[in-house]
Amino acid sequence: MIQQTLTTAYSPPLKLVGKYFIAGIISYFLLCLILLINNDSIIGFHFQPKVLAITHIATLGWITMIIFGAMFQLVPVVLHVKIFSERLAEINFWIFAAGITGLVYGFWHFNTGTFLTTFAIILNVAFFLFAANIILSMRKMKEWNFTATHIAAALFYLIITAIAGLLLAINLGHPFIKISHLQYLNLHAHTAFIGWVLMIIMGVVYNLIPMFSLSHGYSITPGKYSFAAINVGLLGINAVMHSPELNIMFYIFSIIIALGIILFIYQVYLIIQKRMRKKLDIGLKHTVVSFAILAVVTVLGIILTITNASEIPNLTLVYGFLILFGFISILIIGQMYKIVPFLVWYHRFGSRVGKEKVPMLRDLYNENIGMYGFYLMIISIPAIAVFTLFNIKILLLIFYSVLFLSALTFCFNMYKIFMRKN
Amino acid sequence: MVNKEEVLEVLKGVNDPEIGINIVDLGLVYNISIDEKTIEVTMTLTTPGCPMHSTITQWAENVLHYLAPEMEIKINLVWEPAWTPDRMSDEARQQLKNF
Repeated sequence: MIQQTLTTAYSPPLKLVGKYFIAGIISYFLLCLILLINNDSIIGFHFQPKVLAITHIATLGWITMIIFGAMFQLVPVVLHVKIFSERLAEINFWIFAAGITGLVYGFWHFNTGTFLTTFAIILNVAFFLFAANIILSMRKMKEWNFTATHIAAALFYLIITAIAGLLLAINLGHPFIKISHLQYLNLHAHTAFIGWVLMIIMGVVYNLIPMFSLSHGYSITPGKYSFAAINVGLLGINAVMHSPELNIMFYIFSIIIALGIILFIYQVYLIIQKRMRKKLDIGLKHTVVSFAILAVVTVLGIILTITNASEIPNLTLVYGFLILFGFISILIIGQMYKIVPFLVWYHRFGSRVGKEKVPMLRDLYNENIGMYGFYLMIISIPAIAVFTLFNIKILLLIFYSVLFLSALTFCFNMYKIFMRKN
Repeated sequence: MVNKEEVLEVLKGVNDPEIGINIVDLGLVYNISIDEKTIEVTMTLTTPGCPMHSTITQWAENVLHYLAPEMEIKINLVWEPAWTPDRMSDEARQQLKNF
């Protein structure tokens, strides 16, 4: 008999990772529904209660919730260590979920002061616990790798984002931040997006894309330069933020970040180009489109930073929407079509292999419905961006409905996968 | 006693559930040695840290156990030499183009 192999012993239970994934999927459903119902309010200046509430459903309830779940599943796989404490991960889920619910409610009703601050503190507790759990897991690593470097950097920025978020929440009730609240918000948002989300995505896709597409023999040099550039740029803008006289440095660091992101996209292109599986499946189709949109938002981000374009009505909203939906959500949905079938298959069918007939991963969901969802998504997102810019209400209603329909296809397939038992 | 051909044939029933190609055609089986009591298979996977790790080796062990219930089955998972696409059979190469 062979020994129980390490990966089995290291894999967290389906119940734990599934909880994060299901909460994330429900958040995405609610997010698209709330956007549809309130489509006429998502216009104008970005600093308004509903936009702040909806943004945090997206960034915390959907994106970070999925990342947390994915990290608990992937850390054992990519770093070859057991999660330090699964119990802590379990408790972390409830603290995080409570924090998000309160914060979103607080923003929606603009209940600033003690209420918002309390939930910002609860969220900080959740972030610190998560970071501690992963760092303590990483301490047991036998061999450090490139993915670990990305994860460590991402955790650092998660904490910076969380503290900045807490300070902003306090500032709304009791103003004390010397520089403009909006400027600080800009920093909070970019550290969250580039430092936390993008850094984690980078570390993970360098592992997942080659694994799913069987890519071999590509250079990872662009990835290394990308990592260096993004970190130099991000630390740079954080450092010069408080000194308005260093504006020129702010521009330079922003451009360095943008170059880093372009190098990252080039690295992903190199990996995909060397794939053995020629046909792009549902997961990779989503991935490719999401990276094309990332290239667009990177250019848009630079334009917004170094010109007065942010004065153009709704352009900042469009920028945020394209990051959250065009890049991150399309990418996450694509990766979920790869990760969730595996997760469920592994736990429900893994022990039956060789003893009875087991389904293939792609048999667990309806690929046609998934592809309809993909097309609806890639039509509605650019359309919403354009019609938000020109504020055409009737078309916004139509395309938010299309986006909601695409979310339904995704939720249907995820439900189908999680419920599959035979 | 079973022979290598029979072992290979049975291992062709072990598929990578993600891509649907069996481990023999993928070129993941490096060596098979058989003595009176033991069948020993040395194999690799396409990616170190592949999360299918234990499932695929367990699958291989199960099918061999059915083939020769009286023998001890040993599956050695190795990462050296690393798998490269050159190890795939023409059939697997063709199948990959369609997936």
